[in-house]
Amino acid sequence: MIDIIFIILSFFAIIGGLGMILFAQPIYSALSLIVCLVALGGVFALLSAPFLFMVQIILYAGAIITLVLFIIMFLNVKSDNLPNEPYKIPTILVGGILLVPFNLLIIKGFSTLEDKPMHIIGEGFGSIKGFGMELFRNWLVPFELISILLLVALVGAVVYLRKEKSDG
Amino acid sequence: MVDSILPYIILAMILFSIGFLGVIARKNIFIVYMSIELMLNSVNIIFVSLGRYNESMQPQVIAMIIIAIAAAEAAVFLSLITVLFRRKKSLNSDIFNVLRQKSVTHE
Repeated sequence: MIDIIFIILSFFAIIGGLGMILFAQPIYSALSLIVCLVALGGVFALLSAPFLFMVQIILYAGAIITLVLFIIMFLNVKSDNLPNEPYKIPTILVGGILLVPFNLLIIKGFSTLEDKPMHIIGEGFGSIKGFGMELFRNWLVPFELISILLLVALVGAVVYLRKEKSDG
Repeated sequence: MVDSILPYIILAMILFSIGFLGVIARKNIFIVYMSIELMLNSVNIIFVSLGRYNESMQPQVIAMIIIAIAAAEAAVFLSLITVLFRRKKSLNSDIFNVLRQKSVTHE
């Protein structure tokens, strides 16, 4: 059963990713990226990480990509603003062939791990409580640094988007 | 297939390759940005599957931190795209070359 769900989810993820790099209009790319990210959220749920599944759907697909969609609509991109890309398909094909040895190397490295049952664990593994305990016991300093990083990103975005002087 | 970590790694590597190809093959700066997001997500898949393999929750925390970094990156990158589009009226990443040497004037 988990096999079938995993195959369906990975099919949608790969189709969404391919659609993202093949569409010419950025709005279609953002929509297919949402399909891909929701399918990856399902893969997180299969890997017994229900909190990350929730975060992926709410934060990634719901907030970040929706922000991208808002920016695309806000910029009012006409088709003559889009770059002319005559070598898109050949570059993707040649690059895909060139990436095969790299992928084979990584997969060969991971295939030395011995098999273990990967079924879904219940009993609080990946739940909000266990996650919070792990985060605030062992990862407190990175958590605080992330808050500073988000503050810096907020200030940086405001500084970039200030009204420019007339010569700008 | 449930008893192995390999399908998850293969899925993550396929998605990482798709994201990398999007970065090198496309000129539309929005699609470059979304490809970077896809690469971050595939790294998350590898982290979480290794965490499931070792029955540890620390990789899930790392994946959460990566998601927070992606959110910070989204804020900065999208405001940068907005400024560049306001100035150049184009989404082509090849014309964003104001740091090139040809515009330097010696006085």
